[in-house]
Amino acid sequence: MAIAVEELEALVGKAFPGGQYTIEPYRHWLMQDAVGGPATREGTASPMEAYYGALAGMGLSVDELFALVGATADDGPMFGEAGIDVRRPLRIGETYRVSGGITGVVRKEGRKAGVFDIVTFRLELVGEDGELAAVSTNSFIFPRRD
Amino acid sequence: MAVDARVGTEVPPLVIAEVPVEPMKTVAALLHDSNPIHWDVEAVKALGMGDRVVNQGPNNMAYIVTMLADWAGGPDRVRGLRVRFLGNVLAGDRLTARGVVTAVREEGGERLADLDVRLERAEDDRVLDGTAVVALG
Repeated sequence: MAIAVEELEALVGKAFPGGQYTIEPYRHWLMQDAVGGPATREGTASPMEAYYGALAGMGLSVDELFALVGATADDGPMFGEAGIDVRRPLRIGETYRVSGGITGVVRKEGRKAGVFDIVTFRLELVGEDGELAAVSTNSFIFPRRD
Repeated sequence: MAVDARVGTEVPPLVIAEVPVEPMKTVAALLHDSNPIHWDVEAVKALGMGDRVVNQGPNNMAYIVTMLADWAGGPDRVRGLRVRFLGNVLAGDRLTARGVVTAVREEGGERLADLDVRLERAEDDRVLDGTAVVALG
């Protein structure tokens, strides 16, 4: 039985535990090497670190996030949208405080797709200087097959 | 270095001639991504999803960032990116990342360009599209 839409909507505004994320130099190098970017271990980090840091520092695993909205990886959740806003350059080696939570839930029904939920969450990364360094906004699509 | 950009300027495309398999394993480990469709072709077959592993969505996003950073003069120039994931990218796919300037504006004493961006296997086969903001210097 799919989670009731009322139960889902009640999650809007729910904060994640949050945490910290450090752009480890070796990790930055490996990730950039993997995606064809400039593999560096110092200096300005790839803006993609806003995305990686948000997911790594939100205080929930992706599986726990799925469970929160009444889903599992077996339901076939998909990426919907992803956004990064970089307010000041991210630095390799810097540690960021990550906080945020669920900001939106929409239930839809498609002729082919059936019932599905779009869950949006927003996370902020605050740098060691106390400044907001980046914002990551993402949505997952959860098919509800029963 | 300032970038010369006006409405309609096309960013030099980034071509990924053949999406490689091995980096997906590195990314799975770094992102703690336990989904085997990214690294175990037998799991992909068992799910009836063909016989090629599936690239992680963030990798596809990262190709766009690389294209924009190469054009604008560094990763610090890429200020924003918003994308929709439209389809799976499979190992071996040939991809082209593209961007076109839709506006040039001043904000906080800086010249910024707004762009439409996309990642495609072919012109009518987009796997990702969206918008970006880049500082022109």
